[in-house]
Amino acid sequence: MTTKRLSIQRYLPEQGNNTPYWQDFDIPFDDSTSVLDALNYVKEELDGSLSYRWSCRMAICGSCGVMVNNTPKLGCQSFLRDYEGPVKIAPLAHFPVEKDLIIDMGLFLDHLAAVQPYLINDSRLINDSEEGTETFKQTPAQMEKYKQFAGCINCGLCYSACPQFGLNPEFLGPAALTLAHRYNLDSRDQGKKQRMPQMNREEGVWSCTFVGFCSEVCPKNVDPAAAVNQGKVESAKDMLIGIFKG
Amino acid sequence: MNKGTSLNNDASENMRRSDEPIWWGLFSAGGVCFAVFVPAAILFIALLIPAGIVGPDALRFERAHSMVFSLPGLIFIGMVICLPLFHAAHRIRHGLHDLKLGTEHLNKVATYGGAALLSVLALVGFAIGIL
Amino acid sequence: MAKRTSYFPELKRNWWLKHPYFKKYMAREATVLPLVFFLLCLLAGLYSLLQGAESWQGWLTFMQSPLVIAVNALAFIASLFHAWTFFQLFPRVMPLRAGGRTLPPNLMVLGQWFGVVVVMVLAAWIFMRGL
Repeated sequence: MTTKRLSIQRYLPEQGNNTPYWQDFDIPFDDSTSVLDALNYVKEELDGSLSYRWSCRMAICGSCGVMVNNTPKLGCQSFLRDYEGPVKIAPLAHFPVEKDLIIDMGLFLDHLAAVQPYLINDSRLINDSEEGTETFKQTPAQMEKYKQFAGCINCGLCYSACPQFGLNPEFLGPAALTLAHRYNLDSRDQGKKQRMPQMNREEGVWSCTFVGFCSEVCPKNVDPAAAVNQGKVESAKDMLIGIFKG
Repeated sequence: MNKGTSLNNDASENMRRSDEPIWWGLFSAGGVCFAVFVPAAILFIALLIPAGIVGPDALRFERAHSMVFSLPGLIFIGMVICLPLFHAAHRIRHGLHDLKLGTEHLNKVATYGGAALLSVLALVGFAIGIL
Repeated sequence: MAKRTSYFPELKRNWWLKHPYFKKYMAREATVLPLVFFLLCLLAGLYSLLQGAESWQGWLTFMQSPLVIAVNALAFIASLFHAWTFFQLFPRVMPLRAGGRTLPPNLMVLGQWFGVVVVMVLAAWIFMRGL
């Protein structure tokens, strides 16, 4: 079995070492060895002090995001066979690092909450009628409008791919703005009016310069860059409507 | 305190509407012009004619004068000079932000101000020419 | 609660040199730099046209200098590179729907290039007629 050299960025503040450093490991691998498998191998066989997040191993939970050779990737979805030479593993960029490959996603979660990414619809809140127990109806054509943007698994790779978020952490960022757009496009939703003020801000859709790397790295092909820029069209329309209404 | 998390969408300072739609609109219009009209303009005015591939008579004085100072000339100035200027200003402004140069306000005034100034210059030149 | 000891490196201004994708992005943004040069040439041309035949001849000579042709050739390449990137973004920002379906992005990109060719032909007719 051949081996692959893994350089992993370590950060162990509780041991009094407040600067990150690189540590090399040689990992036996075959065609089916993912980056996550390699990290598991390091923890089980070579160095039990390594910390990283993971759960499902099948690109659903979105918790094993790391930088692989400077590109945000899900560890479970990238394979050592695809990399020539040594592989550099670092924590997701643009987030505070707590320990080794573990980042603090708090800012991302705050930005998600800010756009109210859930159905807002008062018409089903009336409980004194049978209407209150009715389910929402939606045609396939209505669903088609937002379906592409509904695949987000909140892995945060797009935030690590976004230099505008890196330059200004107040920027709501790709995933949050995509979810805002996704719910604005949903025929069952009535919350657009509440979400637009967030999108209209400088740190809403307008911090985006369509770098487009967020869409390149998205493991679910959501195309957040398209959603954010469609959001710009919506925000521009919102401004025009505001001017005409006075 | 935390700007990104304010769930109450009030009219406070950090919820202020950006004026970016105006600049983005000009940037987009200018981007279409830069992609569709500017290549032909550069090809003929700055490459084929100066290099002598297309006859030098193509831009002799009387001909150029009657072409520029006309309604098509005004459309040309709008589509090939003014809008691309605002497109360029927008990209330079965001480029300065990307390179962490200058300040947001100063960059805005310098870039859009420059584009507006040069556009006015072009339109004033046109006005002098037709009068 | 224990003291927070997180490590949060600041993004340096050379961030775009760290990944080929970002270099391409910066190249796209930089297409406006030679564009600005070409636009300044046009403005200079407009004002030399206003000052009479002799001044106009001087501008034509200026446009023939090798350095000016070289920068304008770069502007021409930049305009085509810009067009290539801009046309791809358009169907993503404004997906057009016809008959309940989204138009295929490739068709929209092709349509825009067709526009560039039409403008080229139109420019050829404008500059070369009667020569």
